[in-house]
Amino acid sequence: MLIKASVAAAAVSVAAIAVPAVASADATDDYPIPNRILKTTCTVDQYMAAVRDSDPVYYERYMIDYNNKSPEVQQAARDRIYWFFSLDYAGRRQYSEDTATNAFYEQMAWNWPNWAKLFFNNKGVAAHGTDTCAQYPPSDPAVWNW
Amino acid sequence: MKRTRLASIAAAAIAPALVFAAPAHADPDTDFGKELHTYGIYGQKDYNAWIAKIACKRLYNGVDQDADKSAKFIFLQLQKGSTTEQAWQFLGAALRTYCPEKLPILDAAAQQ
Repeated sequence: MLIKASVAAAAVSVAAIAVPAVASADATDDYPIPNRILKTTCTVDQYMAAVRDSDPVYYERYMIDYNNKSPEVQQAARDRIYWFFSLDYAGRRQYSEDTATNAFYEQMAWNWPNWAKLFFNNKGVAAHGTDTCAQYPPSDPAVWNW
Repeated sequence: MKRTRLASIAAAAIAPALVFAAPAHADPDTDFGKELHTYGIYGQKDYNAWIAKIACKRLYNGVDQDADKSAKFIFLQLQKGSTTEQAWQFLGAALRTYCPEKLPILDAAAQQ
């Protein structure tokens, strides 16, 4: 009797733990891409210039990584982030969903895992950058030349 | 305001006397950190050294065109509650340690 009850209890609790895990990979409005990045109206160049001034060490690290990539990978990363910034909120939110649920969705990540680190990986950096990005020129190729 | 600024620039320029008195050391980041301590600037040694080197880089590539802009950049990276004078002292130490060829920007700022 006691054994039966224990088995039943064990079966129930396992089921309760297992079920929610199925849906846990969904994106949210703040993950994996920070909400500020989904909503900002700044250009890539404006955002990068802002982070260069607000979080200089984070920017420096990203640019060191970038400079160690081949010209082809650098070009692909630039094209991809400009493409992302060309999307509206709904498009960016969908992209966030796609990358969260399918590891093979973003091909850039297989060439350079941290290709979008400056933009997607740190909510604090995204918040500082989007606070001030509107003050910078919309187009400034120098932000990639560091 | 003008007087405070001039005094800060003077403070940034005078400090070499302190530096030469310090014992020779192989690691410039350590010496730099020690000099910052004399201005009451603490925090992580590597972080401060990185900010100083980035400040030099910004002067070389023209992101900061003069000492005022450079001091402002540094001020924003220092801990909250730091003073403008400390930012100028940091700048003077950074220039002497990591990019002495940029030291003339301090004289240029003093003559404004």
